[in-house]
Amino acid sequence: MTLSILIWLPLALAFIGAQLDEPWVGRFTAVTSLAPLGIAIDYMVRFKSGAGGLQFVQDHVWIGSLGIHYKLALDGLNMTLVLLTTVLFSLSLFWSAARSEIERPRMYYFWFGLAESAVLGAFCAQDVILFVAFFDLMLVPFYFLVGAWGTGERRRATIKMVIYTMVGSFLMLVAAVAAGVLASNQNGTPIEFTLSALSHLHLSHTSQDWLFLCFAAAFLVKMPLVPLHGWLADAYKSMPIPALAVFSGLLSKVAAYGFLKIAIPLFPYAARHYQTLMLLIALVSILWATALAFTTADSRLVIAYSSVAQLAFITLGIFSLRPEGAQGALLQMVNHGIVTAGAFFVVAALAARCGGSEKLADMGGIAFRAPVLASLFLIVAFATLAMPGSANFIGEFMILLGVFKAQLAISVIAFLGVIGAAVYALRLFITSMHNRVGRGVASPGEVKLAEAVAIVPLVIVILVLAFYPQFVLTRSQASSRVALAPAAAVAVAGSASATTASVHP
Amino acid sequence: MSPTAWGWLVLLFPLLGAAVISAGWNRWPARTAGWLGTLAIALSFVCSVGALLSLLGRDPAHREVVSTLWSYAVSSGVDGKLQILVDPISVFMILVVSGVSTLIHLYSVSYMKGDRGFVRYFAYLNYFVLSMLVLVLAGNFILLIVGWAFVGAASYMLISFWYRRSTATGAGIKAFVINVVGDVGLVLGTFFIFRHTGTVQFLQTFSQIHHVFRVDSTDLVAGCLLFLVGAFAKSAQVPLHTWLPDAMEGPTPVSSLIHAATMVTAGVYLIVRLHPLFELAPTAAEVGAIVGCATLLIAGSIGLVVVDIKRVIAYSTMSQIGYMIMGAAAGAYSGALFHLMTHAFFKALLFMAAGSIIGAMAGDQSLDRMSGFRKAMPFTFLCFIVGGLALSGIPPFSGWVSKDDVIGYTFHRGGIYPILGVGGELGALITGMYTFRMIFRAFFGAPSPEAVELQHGHLAHAEVPRNPMTGEEEDTDVGFPGPEHVIAEREWPMKVAMSLLALGALAAGVIQLPGVDHVISTFLSPAFTGSKLFHHDPSTGTAWIGLIVTPIVGLVGIVTAYRLYIAAPGSSKRLQERLAPVHTFLYNKWYFDELIDIVVVRPALLVGRLAESVLERIVIGGGVTGGVTGSVRAVSAGVRRAQTGLLRLYAAAVILGLSAIALYFLIVSS
Repeated sequence: MTLSILIWLPLALAFIGAQLDEPWVGRFTAVTSLAPLGIAIDYMVRFKSGAGGLQFVQDHVWIGSLGIHYKLALDGLNMTLVLLTTVLFSLSLFWSAARSEIERPRMYYFWFGLAESAVLGAFCAQDVILFVAFFDLMLVPFYFLVGAWGTGERRRATIKMVIYTMVGSFLMLVAAVAAGVLASNQNGTPIEFTLSALSHLHLSHTSQDWLFLCFAAAFLVKMPLVPLHGWLADAYKSMPIPALAVFSGLLSKVAAYGFLKIAIPLFPYAARHYQTLMLLIALVSILWATALAFTTADSRLVIAYSSVAQLAFITLGIFSLRPEGAQGALLQMVNHGIVTAGAFFVVAALAARCGGSEKLADMGGIAFRAPVLASLFLIVAFATLAMPGSANFIGEFMILLGVFKAQLAISVIAFLGVIGAAVYALRLFITSMHNRVGRGVASPGEVKLAEAVAIVPLVIVILVLAFYPQFVLTRSQASSRVALAPAAAVAVAGSASATTASVHP
Repeated sequence: MSPTAWGWLVLLFPLLGAAVISAGWNRWPARTAGWLGTLAIALSFVCSVGALLSLLGRDPAHREVVSTLWSYAVSSGVDGKLQILVDPISVFMILVVSGVSTLIHLYSVSYMKGDRGFVRYFAYLNYFVLSMLVLVLAGNFILLIVGWAFVGAASYMLISFWYRRSTATGAGIKAFVINVVGDVGLVLGTFFIFRHTGTVQFLQTFSQIHHVFRVDSTDLVAGCLLFLVGAFAKSAQVPLHTWLPDAMEGPTPVSSLIHAATMVTAGVYLIVRLHPLFELAPTAAEVGAIVGCATLLIAGSIGLVVVDIKRVIAYSTMSQIGYMIMGAAAGAYSGALFHLMTHAFFKALLFMAAGSIIGAMAGDQSLDRMSGFRKAMPFTFLCFIVGGLALSGIPPFSGWVSKDDVIGYTFHRGGIYPILGVGGELGALITGMYTFRMIFRAFFGAPSPEAVELQHGHLAHAEVPRNPMTGEEEDTDVGFPGPEHVIAEREWPMKVAMSLLALGALAAGVIQLPGVDHVISTFLSPAFTGSKLFHHDPSTGTAWIGLIVTPIVGLVGIVTAYRLYIAAPGSSKRLQERLAPVHTFLYNKWYFDELIDIVVVRPALLVGRLAESVLERIVIGGGVTGGVTGSVRAVSAGVRRAQTGLLRLYAAAVILGLSAIALYFLIVSS
């Protein structure tokens, strides 16, 4: 078995599904989505945790004259994320399949299949150009999912999203091509685009600087972090909930992963050079998004902004450029994917009880008729605010510890985001579940099977990880050290030269 | 069995209890959930005794036992494992916690019987006990923080237990957020220490610190001060105390268990647990002692004027924890822990008795409306007297010995501490006053209508159930809090629980009487082998001077209350009028809520609104997004000739541009 099967299986299944009768498409796609999940679990079982290098490598020359490879592999950085991808897509598909009101199901499920293949491809790609291709391919299905199945101001939302992402992607493509070309020029080697080859080549500091910034722009838009988040509110508001669960849970993660997998190992000098800048962007994002999350009147946007804040924490961890921070960031990527998806499904369940309204003012007092839903939501809310005892806490603990060692002041200020998270997560829980019954609450019934099908598995995963966050940490440990090694070497060299400078003024 | 095996069992039962009760949430008939919950905690207490015996069977030099289940967060130098530390300190704590919890569970079986949230209540309560036991058994900082936050979460869930009341949900979020501030203090403090020791495990940390820190090293002091922030938030010390009075929104047994006997004393436990750090950072310890002393005075002074009976006891709790914090920071470890224990007895008892009288008042909590319950409720009255005398430190009640253990130590310690000891004596005076003000007002004087009714054998019922805080009508369609109220006189589980606690409040002092016996300090001493302060006890003679002086001070307070409320009724009103500014100041609780509102809450909301309205709309919506779309639009306008769709054009422009640049680089490279 090769990784190609894992990656392209969702798309192939979506093709088959599109040939079926409309009532059967959803069920078929949902049930067969367990196949990629099973394959991912199989890889997880066979994965060797101690090794820092690539495993299950599949390497073909794609465009020989340009040195572009079709190279896929798993390592500690992407293993758990690949598993997360198959889990979240499966749950989103089950959630969709449990609803018969979806129009044009063939196309809808086809785009989901394409999206899953693209995300898996982006995670597994070991060639810069291949990564860029998958990264851009990810946008296509969501463009259609928002445009055709979205609600509200979906036209404006798609335009904003596409423009923002396109500009980012464009810069990244330029940088990707340039990285290969410049590396081959500066080293006098034949042109190569595989990550393993590029990471061994030396790039001048000036080249690294602008290449890094181009990649960073693409990733920051995708996450998104302040000030590149202008597309977020509209896009998140319009996107159908199952699409949003995977979009927010996974696509933002591809960007964070991109920093760790590509930008930092390939441009270690620049990563060190712009470390403070990136930390500050993340810090501002945390505070900004937190402030927005506790003032917005829309339940979906609370989760959207909390998601920005958590992505900012992840960025903070990555750019501590320390193993603790990177490990925390990787753990937090998994946590955030699960928790955010869960929170969006809960918001959908709340809206279903409030006649479709997602406004906080319309909600209230749902817990009494829906105690199980309230309990599930409470667990998700506690995980969202990274309560100690959840795996999210361990993620944030390690992230902030890394930053604490790298830049004490930034770490201390970032703790404001931890306190703010408690405010907005509980505020969301209380205004929807507690107090008197809200004026918009129409049908405050207990959680339905169609909702439980996605929420319950996610809550179970949250609880399991709460007892054993080590599951993620063990697998990523060796690889995150490898990913940070070049940047760490820059720091050592930097401080060494600083010492020499002080000895010989 | 080894002490740690017992330790894991202590944790297992409440965990199982919470899980089993929640799993059958809609199936448990009648009071089954309550009995299950009580049983789980009782078993936990039995295992605590097992741990005690097993620990006593060991050589004193080997009474610190660590056991690890599995790796929890072990990576990149962090060594967070799921491990417990069983030593005299933690065994002392699990005994107190599981013992008092068992009795309060028993009490609750009756007290909550009319409530529709009965099953949910016991699931929460079991979860709370689990959290508290995790907190005191944790073998490293990470697990300590987990327990720390879990008790905060349990406290939140129980404060807003009656979640239809907006006052309850408001109090819940307030308590939770202030406690998160405390959690942050703990995490940051851990960072400061971990940075030098490279371990999160307690025993390793304590063996390391003498190598990596000097006395009052900056990072050590910073770390200890941050730990104090955590302790202050959890133990309701000034200025992080404002959540505790509001927490009285929860059912009364919750106030008794969480907000008096156990959770709020976690800060004291923390300081005692981390005593090697604090002894190496005397500056931080002094800060802790000063804040403890300030809190005991401030809270006591507010307790003199509050009219809500539960809040009087809540301020008294703050004040008594002030003593414990002051003692723990000063180095009176056994005194602080001993006072923690006796306080758990008599304060839990007072809250239970208050619950009984509130039941008789059909939910009303105002002292202004209570009076003359002495004859109607003899048992409750007796409990109040026992609890009140113990709280005021009158011999031979338990509070007499434990309180003076703390005060006496401060006088003996020297430095700034004798000044704080004077504060402690002043606090003893105030304690006598507010305690007996409450008792005289509730139980003496002409019987209130409810008391008269009760003397005729009828329990008062409110026509319309109202929120005692706002007077707002309760949302009765949901059924909680129940329309039925209960009093101890008619419920044997309440009577049993209160009697046992009264016994503790009466007699627990004898086990630590200076010159006679010292059970507590002998038992604790193996955990303090490296401590300079633990063995620095005052001589028996000095201790007895304190044991005579302090109760006299307390008696003066009681007599004052007697003169004001019994001998010359109405004189308290005249005093209020004469000292109007002081009364207003105290009645408004020193304006701490207003201060926090102005300094923290409003600026935070302002920033949020500013972020949304100004920055988000204008800078991001107008500037960045407008700029990006504008420039793309401008470029596309130049390119476009026919009426093609915007998007297709953008896509074309982007692809065209990309290809051009890619081509350029390929040409350059070849």
